[in-house]
Amino acid sequence: MSERDTVWLRPPWGEGEPKEVEATPAVLVPLLVAGWSQCAPPKPEVKEDVHD
Amino acid sequence: MSTTRLQEVLICFGKQKQTGIATANTGAEMWRFGKLNAALANPKLSTENDAEEFGKGHEFPTQSFQTSWDVNGTLEKYLGAEIAAWAMAFGLGKVVKSGTTPNFTYTCTPLMPANGDAAELPYFSFVEQIRPGAGVVLDRMAVGCVVEGWTISIGSGPGRANSKITVEFAGSGKVIEPSMIAMPAATLEKLLPSASLALTINGVNYVSNKNIVSLETSWKNNVRMDAGFYPGSGFQTAGDATSGAIRGRLEFGNRQGTLRFTARFENGSTELTKLKNQTTGTAVLSLTYDANNSLEITWQKVSFATAEVGETDGIVTVAVECLPMYDVTNGIVSAVAKCGVDNICQ
Repeated sequence: MSERDTVWLRPPWGEGEPKEVEATPAVLVPLLVAGWSQCAPPKPEVKEDVHD
Repeated sequence: MSTTRLQEVLICFGKQKQTGIATANTGAEMWRFGKLNAALANPKLSTENDAEEFGKGHEFPTQSFQTSWDVNGTLEKYLGAEIAAWAMAFGLGKVVKSGTTPNFTYTCTPLMPANGDAAELPYFSFVEQIRPGAGVVLDRMAVGCVVEGWTISIGSGPGRANSKITVEFAGSGKVIEPSMIAMPAATLEKLLPSASLALTINGVNYVSNKNIVSLETSWKNNVRMDAGFYPGSGFQTAGDATSGAIRGRLEFGNRQGTLRFTARFENGSTELTKLKNQTTGTAVLSLTYDANNSLEITWQKVSFATAEVGETDGIVTVAVECLPMYDVTNGIVSAVAKCGVDNICQ
């Protein structure tokens, strides 16, 4: 089974959290028209090591 | 003296977008193609003189001034998956890249400033060379170019000429000479022939009913050329006010999409009825090389503006001009271009 092809989009005007969506025209086109734009995937949160 | 023939002209241009209007693409960001048309992208320098100024004692010019620069050009090509992806991405302006080699997918839509998108189109550099190096005839790079529009023409017949794309572009006026670009190897193109067409317009599959004769679809950005010259837009030579002004931005104006087609007209053909009823529906055309190389353009909502019955080679046909309209969910047009090349318009 092939892995689902997804992309990350950031919301219109750059306000709000990016979201990961399926990379199909049916999903992408309405979002692009509404102002969403492709962005890099968010970096995973790095927790500081509390143990010295 | 040796003659220079135009078959020697080499062109390459930005596969990737420039980081800004004045920052040229590097050689690594460019790709090379052949083309069908002879026209060159000649930089044009506008000059003015002081003939009409008073105080000289006569009506003749005594000085001339370099005022501004312009560059534009046209690329005519047989339609291939690579140039199609490039034209859709740079021409419509908004692109999402997905997939991996050898199947990259570029989903392209027009920019929508009302929803937060820029009004400036993505920029690329365009290089023309004839014998670059010691025996140079021509070697220049137009920086800060945008796609003014594209036209795809599909016809009937066996040859490659039945599937063509024409791309018009316009530049900021900035020219670098010599270009300092090492011409990359020619791009291996995957042609999208007319025989691969799939076409459904307003609920009718014009390929399965074997009625389509020809089709033309286009997009025009109507770039605001004069608005590119604004106070502070810059000069051909940075800091030299005598070198002529260049544009500092290229924004689209009132954009236009067109779709027209000619189909055989027979008993049961619905074009005239749909014209009278102003029936609306999608228009989807696709051309395919293989599973990894294709182009699909969707006009999201069209009605028929005109439908005229005539003839083509003695067969009764109907010539239809569609009116592309804006759909509240899907906008006006989208293009899904697949090819094996990474980083187009990225």
